[in-house]
Amino acid sequence: MAKILYIEDIEDNLTLVQKIITSRGHELLWANNAEKGLEMATSNQPDLILLDLGLPDSDGQTLSVWLRSEPTLENIPIIVLTAWPEEVARHTVDAYGLDGYLCKPFSLTELVQLVDTALGSKSL
Amino acid sequence: MTLGIIPATQFTIQELTDLYNQTRVDYLVPMPMNVDRLAEYIRDFDVDLTGSCVARADDGQVLGLGMLGVRENRAWITRLGVIPDTRRSGAGAALMDYMLEKADVLHLEETHLEVIKNNEPAYRLFVKKGFRDTHEYLVLRRAPHAISEPLAGSIKWLDRDEALQTLKTYPNHLTWISARESMANAPDVQGARLWLPNGGTGWLVYRSQKFFFSHLVMHTEQGNPVEVGKQLLLHLYSHNPRKDTYAENIHESDPHLPAYKALSYFENFSRIEMRRNNRKVE
Repeated sequence: MAKILYIEDIEDNLTLVQKIITSRGHELLWANNAEKGLEMATSNQPDLILLDLGLPDSDGQTLSVWLRSEPTLENIPIIVLTAWPEEVARHTVDAYGLDGYLCKPFSLTELVQLVDTALGSKSL
Repeated sequence: MTLGIIPATQFTIQELTDLYNQTRVDYLVPMPMNVDRLAEYIRDFDVDLTGSCVARADDGQVLGLGMLGVRENRAWITRLGVIPDTRRSGAGAALMDYMLEKADVLHLEETHLEVIKNNEPAYRLFVKKGFRDTHEYLVLRRAPHAISEPLAGSIKWLDRDEALQTLKTYPNHLTWISARESMANAPDVQGARLWLPNGGTGWLVYRSQKFFFSHLVMHTEQGNPVEVGKQLLLHLYSHNPRKDTYAENIHESDPHLPAYKALSYFENFSRIEMRRNNRKVE
């Protein structure tokens, strides 16, 4: 079982992701803004972070810079979940050195595959 | 449904923030805000809450909002949005009418706004209300990474006062958010001035927050803008290698664009600036 932190401000978007992640036996933590996300990442040391790019206090790109600048967090894989066009999402993930992206709306299968790949052996 | 348009002063900043976020949930670029960020936005961009407004249905449900910035003889419409389920109710047009009437009553000569390119419903509404395109701008982003190219020339870092003085010499049009008045309202303005060995000179003014730079304004006074721009950015990032950058409203034909691109800036989206000549109200 893995611990996954989802940083997303819209609670409605949480429901589907929560259902998928918990049905796979993982624990899902939720932060609804960047500051809380950084705090929860630091205190919980998740195995994976799912990150929305549009957050109310700082956008996801800048939050990824915060996360990568913390020595205890810098190696945690980060997957972006975004409504942005695929080209922008791909460019963002490449530029910020993140680990993958899914453009909304995405399917259950796509999310499961990406999470399993990011978690590696912890996905079992 | 009967609509009422109410001044934004009748709502708390928390209520306005919540409403604003609800209007943006389905946007391609949602840009949600919290209370602190909206309060800063109101301060930095001279938003006049008496001219700003909220649309409310007769059953009390809030439908949308719009904000009006006011400076000297100009107005600026911003944060306009309607909650997705209640669109096509006339709320957007009613909010626009309220703010444009305020601008007319205040004898402001013109009203500006920016719309994200390809937001066709909003664009059509603005054209209907008398707005015409003026310029197209790019919103660029740069992730932090190490600089490997050699630095050239000498650089002087400018404090807030020096940066604001320098910005006053900018000869071209700036959109509302990077205009001199906006920068003068912001606490975190800095800058840099560059002299190259070949005689090229120029400057860069920006806002600097803990993890990122924003609101960049660049100008070449002498020499090749690409060369001057590139060296300004190389100096900036060799001095601040771990900062993220969000560069809004860079003119599509800005001569420094190749310099931004050489430093790995990439395009997020485009905005169209629009302008309307206001009516004179006696």
